[in-house]
Amino acid sequence: MPLFSETVSATILEPLPFVEWQQRPAWPAVSLANTDPVEDLAPHVGRLRLIVLNFPKFSDGRAYSQARLLRGRLGYTGELRATGGVLQDQLPFMLRCGFDSFESDQKGFEEALAKARTLFSVVYQPAEDDRATASLLRLSRRNVHPAV
Amino acid sequence: MAKNLSGDLSVASANRLVDGVVVFLDDAGQWTTRFERAAVARDKRGGEILLERARAEAFGVIDPFLVAVSEDDDGRIEPISLREKIRASGLTFDAIAAEAVRYA
Amino acid sequence: MPDTHFYRYDDYDRTLVGERVEQFRDQVRRRIAGELTEEQFKPLRLTNGLYLQLHAYMLRIAIPYGTLSSRQLRKLADIARKYDRGYGHFTTRQNLQLNWIKLEDAPDALAALAEVDMHAMQTSGNCIRNVTADHYAGAAIDEIEDPRIWCEIVRQWSTLHPEFSFLPRKFKIAITGSPNDRAAVRVHDIGLRLWANEAGDVGFEVIVGGGLGRTPMIGKTLREFLPRDELLAYLEATLRVYNRYGRRDNLYKARIKILVHEIGAEKMREEVEAEYAAIKDGALKLPVETIEAIARQFAPPALPHRAAVVAEVEGLKLEDRDFALWLKSNVAPHRMAGYRIVTASLKPAGAPPGDASAVQMEGVADIADAYSQGEIRVSHEQNLVLPHVAVEDLPAVWRALGRLGFAEANVGKITDIIACPGLDYCALANARSIPVAQRISNHFAGLARQHDIGDLKIKISGCINACGHHHVGHIGILGVDKNGVELYQLSLGGDVDFGKTAIGAILGPAVTADKVVEAVDAMVHTYLDNRGDGERFVDTYRRIGAQPFKERVYAAV
Repeated sequence: MPLFSETVSATILEPLPFVEWQQRPAWPAVSLANTDPVEDLAPHVGRLRLIVLNFPKFSDGRAYSQARLLRGRLGYTGELRATGGVLQDQLPFMLRCGFDSFESDQKGFEEALAKARTLFSVVYQPAEDDRATASLLRLSRRNVHPAV
Repeated sequence: MAKNLSGDLSVASANRLVDGVVVFLDDAGQWTTRFERAAVARDKRGGEILLERARAEAFGVIDPFLVAVSEDDDGRIEPISLREKIRASGLTFDAIAAEAVRYA
Repeated sequence: MPDTHFYRYDDYDRTLVGERVEQFRDQVRRRIAGELTEEQFKPLRLTNGLYLQLHAYMLRIAIPYGTLSSRQLRKLADIARKYDRGYGHFTTRQNLQLNWIKLEDAPDALAALAEVDMHAMQTSGNCIRNVTADHYAGAAIDEIEDPRIWCEIVRQWSTLHPEFSFLPRKFKIAITGSPNDRAAVRVHDIGLRLWANEAGDVGFEVIVGGGLGRTPMIGKTLREFLPRDELLAYLEATLRVYNRYGRRDNLYKARIKILVHEIGAEKMREEVEAEYAAIKDGALKLPVETIEAIARQFAPPALPHRAAVVAEVEGLKLEDRDFALWLKSNVAPHRMAGYRIVTASLKPAGAPPGDASAVQMEGVADIADAYSQGEIRVSHEQNLVLPHVAVEDLPAVWRALGRLGFAEANVGKITDIIACPGLDYCALANARSIPVAQRISNHFAGLARQHDIGDLKIKISGCINACGHHHVGHIGILGVDKNGVELYQLSLGGDVDFGKTAIGAILGPAVTADKVVEAVDAMVHTYLDNRGDGERFVDTYRRIGAQPFKERVYAAV
């Protein structure tokens, strides 16, 4: 499946399925099923350079939680790749959860990725992309203009 | 009135993509909103062929399927299930709009 | 025009809703051009409120916490007229459904909606749905705190939530701020009940895993008392546990109630509390300034002093029996002396429950401007509510509503029927609901008789999804399809009142459509023959049990 990435070229490392990787945890790339416990990666996140999360269907959203835990809770900073049912209309959600590379068959995916971050200029909830929420922006605006 | 209730008669139906309106495939392979113009398949094999044709013409409609119909002595067809009767002929009560205009 | 006394969009909200409309416009364009398959497009249109029903697309518009300004209601009328057939259906989740929308018009309809700061986001799909509230919020005499403040906070947090937009199944949250729960919090995925503890601190009881549908369940209390500023962290923790562990192998077992049932409330609590402990001091903690800024927007209107006792009202009460009955059933106490809460009944005899035409919507908007601070509420019982009406104005409001056909004195009575759209509209239904409701309504049309029968809630669903809440009707009616014939299963004793929430018990074999009225009539007579002093229908049922009802019903049908 074609691979798309926002930034520099994505890692060419071959990820190991989680069970195999557990036998060779020094390998820097792993692929998780959406039922695999991301918490088990905690001792290794500093070494990992690629984690692939799987969407068996685009409507199965478990990997969004896995992604946020990896980024937010475990502090993983390497490449986080979405594979499986990855459609362009999910990109705004995936980017906010911390994914930064995508395998997708969909036509027009590259163009969609290029503008996915500009579709919504306002966000309501904190996530893994460090964007300031509407609520925070309102607070700082009130502090600048207390009368408003 | 004797009806053909063998269960083998069918027409192809779908909802039109742009507005959701109920449509039926006619003999010319066009989608029509008029139930009485629907092409009737008279047996199981005919139904399969009709459905294939419908799928081939499915660009502007959503998920074509077969509707089982009965036929009376005059050749008038009618869907067998209540759901399809309602799809073919509309609400079974007066919607409020006409009624409520009185209050204008 | 009066100013609104609830949350007003600022430029952030407007920008987001506007961008969402443009995103959907592009998605619709790609669908019509054939770039998206129906399978790919369906979840996109659903999260924008657009269903495909039997005859057409249906647009479900969110009415956050059931609160509308007169300007918004007029716009809904406009949209119904311009893009639909001039009427709409108010639902049990305080939404408005338009039944005949065209896909090609949907982006324009949504853009029109955005002009009055409204949207249809997340009114369908496997995401967090429009949050519902007590329809008397901000006016109720028994209210501890206005629940809409918290509904708005949850609305913002849940809108386009990147992690929770592809949940195992839909997710419904309801919030009440009163001990008399009018939001049915025990039958929601999450129900939140504001209450004050002994120290006088206000917090939430968090109830998880309730719901109707195929497997009705009463929610379990996960937290007796949650400090208010920790609400979003607790919700996020609960949703994360659900998103990770909720079942996805079977559509009918995918709601959170099944997860809670299968792992048990205790284990669910452990999981949620563990996740919550990890995030509670993070970015979701609500700054007091944020809460206060939203709370200020819900500050009650400054209602001028008005007379508590009015001679004209007292006189009319004696003169006109219909007015007197209307005062009893459709008018509730307000927290300010001299004011009342008025319910406009969308259940005139024989009409489809919850339907209103564009003309009627505009009429209600005019009445709200003249007599209710320009504010309207939608109740989960599919009626409209005028929350701030002066006692002095009651006769004028009654007459004006009467001209619209909305002054039927039947709120809470046997003809105040809840019904889903049923097989006449709905692609999921197995049987019709509205014609059944119409027949019952016509049969019991006389007001004196209805008031003699007293409080009796009939709730009708056309399929097991239970949009008509049949499980919690005093009399529940469920349409089923048996070999192409519509049959109706009857149940008794359901209730949504807090502390008494109960799922009704099935009475016996289902009856045919033409026997439903006889069956209901037989139940009513069983009650009338057996009722004790001051007993409502459901009280008598609880005292004497199902048997006498059963005997009489099956002798009659």
